Amino acid sequence: MLSKSQALIFFLAATIGFSGIFLWLTVDTLRQVPVRSNEAAMDESVVRGKEIWDRNNCMGCHTLLGEGAYYAPELTQAVLRRGKPWLRIFLANPEAMFPGQRRMQNYEFTDDEIEDVIAFLEWIGGIDTNGFPPDPDLSLPNAAVAASIGKTGSSAAPRPEIFSQVCVACHSLGGEGGQVGPALDGVADRYSSADLRKWLADPTGIKPGTAMPDLKLSEQQLNRLTAFLMAQGGPR
Amino acid sequence: MTTFRFESWKVAWTFFATCLLLLILQVVYGFIMGFAHMGFDVLHDWIPFNTARATHTNLLVVWLLAGFMGSAYFIVPDEADRELWSLPLAWIQWGSLVLVGVVAVIGFHFNWWEGRKFLEIPRPLDVLVVINVLAFLLNIGMTIWKGKRYTTTALTLLAGLLAAALLYLPGMIAFDSQVRDSYFRWWVVHLWVEGVWELIMGAILSYLLIKLSGVDREVIEKWLYVIVGLTFLSGILGTGHHYYWIGAPEYWLMVGGIFSALEPIAFLGMAIYVVAMARRGGREHPNRIALWWSVGCGIMSFVGAGMLGFAHTLPSVNIWTHGTLVTAMHAHLAFWGAYAMLIFAMMCYTLPEMTGRKLYDTWIAEWGFWLSNIGMVCMTGAFAVAGVAQVYLERKLGMDFMVVQEAVQVHFGALVLAACLFTLGITLFTWNFFQYGFMPWRGLASASHPAATPSK
Repeated sequence: MLSKSQALIFFLAATIGFSGIFLWLTVDTLRQVPVRSNEAAMDESVVRGKEIWDRNNCMGCHTLLGEGAYYAPELTQAVLRRGKPWLRIFLANPEAMFPGQRRMQNYEFTDDEIEDVIAFLEWIGGIDTNGFPPDPDLSLPNAAVAASIGKTGSSAAPRPEIFSQVCVACHSLGGEGGQVGPALDGVADRYSSADLRKWLADPTGIKPGTAMPDLKLSEQQLNRLTAFLMAQGGPR
Repeated sequence: MTTFRFESWKVAWTFFATCLLLLILQVVYGFIMGFAHMGFDVLHDWIPFNTARATHTNLLVVWLLAGFMGSAYFIVPDEADRELWSLPLAWIQWGSLVLVGVVAVIGFHFNWWEGRKFLEIPRPLDVLVVINVLAFLLNIGMTIWKGKRYTTTALTLLAGLLAAALLYLPGMIAFDSQVRDSYFRWWVVHLWVEGVWELIMGAILSYLLIKLSGVDREVIEKWLYVIVGLTFLSGILGTGHHYYWIGAPEYWLMVGGIFSALEPIAFLGMAIYVVAMARRGGREHPNRIALWWSVGCGIMSFVGAGMLGFAHTLPSVNIWTHGTLVTAMHAHLAFWGAYAMLIFAMMCYTLPEMTGRKLYDTWIAEWGFWLSNIGMVCMTGAFAVAGVAQVYLERKLGMDFMVVQEAVQVHFGALVLAACLFTLGITLFTWNFFQYGFMPWRGLASASHPAATPSK
């Protein structure tokens, strides 16, 4: 039968032995991390982004690399999933995108801070995570934003990038996209080109209190988006 | 009947009372989050979710640490058969721990924190925590040294507490890289919870079993070594299950998978050990409720930490469940079973020993046990249903995060109901605790036993 001193030897051997292996693996991990996480690309903006991330305890709601709280979306691939234009608008005013839904605090970030946060998230997205987060493996046809990217529908005008990245988060077209704002099918039949352009340039100016965010579009973006929307006539 | 045989036990009582107050506050913040998940985020402008979350988890850490310290201030004088090395230091240590805790929690409400899960306390306060813990260890260590009675139980407890203090340090290093930051953050969090805290747990359970079951000390302490040996055998490399997806090398999938799959064995060992010793004990100790909590601790830690941990620790499962409510399911029952119940067992055992009052077989104590346990099991069930639904809808089918969150809202209704049951149990337990008196030595001051005299 096992004696007390043998039990003590077992305890000490297990502790010391496995601590040793753990330290050895740690040394090897630290050797590999610079390559796996592309530390060369970790510039000052990324580091400032991490500071902002830490200072506001973003992990208290979100997960990053799957670590954090489970109240808000997982952000490892946020830049890939949403695109930078969407993130810029969202970070400037979190309630712009999901009015009336679960709320994120408005941290009143400056434009520079927003770029830092995005740079940080983009760097995170490039880490070799051994395949996390995985692609859905039981995928059914659904209204996922990504699914609508690349389709041109019935329109003759080319689909502007901003439409695929931002508009579809709230509006649907051809049954694909968000449910927050009205569907955009046949929008050309309801509004004139000039009215649409005015609306896109300054939503709150036209309808105070609207949930539609000011997207701060450039002249060129306004022109392309208006042209694209005016091509969305109803069924003929 | 001697009451407060040691002056030091007054410190222990004060730590235990602090535990319960912090636990109640923790439960309040839990409710805030439960309601937010149900869609009633009414306190958003004052207590946003991340504040509630940081407060909830940090209060847990502080009250469990306070519980370990209270337990040590009870056990060490008893085992060493002398007063603490320095009583004033013990009181200062209690006061400063409470002060740091209060400042930290208030700071969380004003964005003064670090966004590092479980280690949100800002670094200046980290330093104070370290000083505080050093003062505690000095006091405990000197007491054992001066007592010249080195029992395995006391030494294991000291080793566990010392290792816990040392492992706090890697969490204080600042990194620019999220990957390195995360890597060393787990040295604290994992190696505490699934490593040295189990050492502390093993030591406290051994002490309770020696006292409650009457089984020979040598037998109990021998198996203590085996259990904590198994814990470190599996738990140290089991840290790998936190390194699967954070940018660490791929071999962690294998290392973490194999060794964390062994972790339930340590917990199973702990459960069998507790049940076997409790059955073997020839002596029928009248403090049945303390034995309930001790045996319950062994069993629930196996279910919550061992089985539910194993349920999502293998890489092929974890890649889907990582970062979902499944983790919250495991965490709730694990912390409750392994650590909260342990400290409750200590409270139930020590109160009659300290005060000389025998209030342990009241209906309040028994209902407190059952309601809190049933409530926590139901909460775990609600988290499990919500978590598994989230995994399938969001991760497997690729549905939008918020669409899924709305779909699982109903399960948070169930969670809140279960939490009400749990809270009722905690309330009864707290009531029972204070039935022994508030600062119970005051009522006993006129008794013929001068409390300050250590018995030899």
